[in-house]
Amino acid sequence: MNYVFHFNIVWDHWRDLADGAWLTIRLSAMAMVLGLIVSICTAYANLGHIGPLRWLVAVYVEVVRNTPFLVQIFIIYFSLPALGLRLEANEAALAAMVVNFGAYGTEILRAGVEAVPHGQIEAARSLGLTRLQTFRFVILFPAIKTVFPALASQFILMMLGSSIVSAISAVELTAVTNTLQSTTFRAFEFYFVTTAIYLAMALGFRAVLGGIYWFVFQRNRPA
Amino acid sequence: MQRFLGLIAVALVAMLPVLLSTQGAQAESTLDRILREKKIRITAEVTSPPFGILDKDGKPDGSEIATARQLAKDLGVDVEFVQVTAPNRIPALLAGKADVAISSLSITLDRAKTVMFANPHGALSIVITAPAAVTLKSAADLKGKRVGLTRATLEEATVPKIAPEGTNIVFFDDIAATIQALLSGQIDAAGMSAFAAKSVADRNPDKKLENKFTVTTAYYSAVVRPGDFELLQWINTWVFINTRNGVLADIYKKYTGVDLPPLPLL
Repeated sequence: MNYVFHFNIVWDHWRDLADGAWLTIRLSAMAMVLGLIVSICTAYANLGHIGPLRWLVAVYVEVVRNTPFLVQIFIIYFSLPALGLRLEANEAALAAMVVNFGAYGTEILRAGVEAVPHGQIEAARSLGLTRLQTFRFVILFPAIKTVFPALASQFILMMLGSSIVSAISAVELTAVTNTLQSTTFRAFEFYFVTTAIYLAMALGFRAVLGGIYWFVFQRNRPA
Repeated sequence: MQRFLGLIAVALVAMLPVLLSTQGAQAESTLDRILREKKIRITAEVTSPPFGILDKDGKPDGSEIATARQLAKDLGVDVEFVQVTAPNRIPALLAGKADVAISSLSITLDRAKTVMFANPHGALSIVITAPAAVTLKSAADLKGKRVGLTRATLEEATVPKIAPEGTNIVFFDDIAATIQALLSGQIDAAGMSAFAAKSVADRNPDKKLENKFTVTTAYYSAVVRPGDFELLQWINTWVFINTRNGVLADIYKKYTGVDLPPLPLL
């Protein structure tokens, strides 16, 4: 193999790579927050006594978990305009990521909710708390605390999966890398550096999530 | 003394084959390897009408695929197609997955820095295509419009240079995605080869797509890795023979409907 490495060409384009990485971070952060909200809502709907609602959530979870992310993105970006809803590339990317995370997050939270001791729930109900109050004050907090590592892993997976949104022209890190390597023909150098950037972002997100865990769950909170 | 000299003579004669073979020992050239294995691997980009398409049985077809089959037949070897998308044509060649890239790679100076072009065997033009309702008379009208381009193609190398400030250029990974974005209204206009634009317009008459203006014209040719001079020379000879006997013109006319223009030499 007589391939000569030219890493300086990657350095010349650091600004484009930084812009792409920044969009990845923004998309992932927003999708994490919105995805968690969606998961909490669907987890609450799952607990409720409205049959059709639970069926709807089950259909949503099963369809999204058993179809490829790329296909979901293509449907949201290419097929929805035919139904009248045209989303920009970044909006479509965010929507797809939230929809995708919501399904996995629902299942993760369901495990956490089931892990809350039944005695607590019965005590809360017998004290006169409504279902919503029970969910908000007695169930949600311990549930998230229990499954936080699994949620954090799913968050990171979703951030890495954001590279797929390059297929619908959202200008995140992978898209920028693809464009740059196709014009400079330095595929190995660019993909190597991009891998390192994704690794750094994943470790960064893990650190931030660990910090959030400590701040919310582990400090001595005032009673 | 005579017996001693005789022994040395016999030893030298015995070592002759070894000496001669180390003299001639070089790395086998790609052309030699292809002839020995009786197989040539050629890239096939099947989402680029009419150069590469999938026919109704799902098999690769198109003008470049037919050219590749003819080349392999004249070389006397079997052809194995390596499916690629536009951005993967050159990387697949450089990585050794394919020996030749015959996928309408237009001759540009940037590409020539990393690969070797053979003499051209076809020509194409890049146009901006959009629905009839969109007014685009020249490059200046692109301002404020969303223009879709495919990565690692001639349109990606030329359209951004003529597009004015304020044009929103979006990149897709293959021509099929660019076409889909145009058809679904996600982009206002798209840059692609005139043949691809015609094929999309014919298949979607309700969208009323039309070519707005031509961006550039180019010749395309087969591409080999740097250093494969024997293979390159064989391909140049093959292009010479098949230009003169009309085979290349027949393939071009069959898939594009247009006469092959006179082909210059590199």
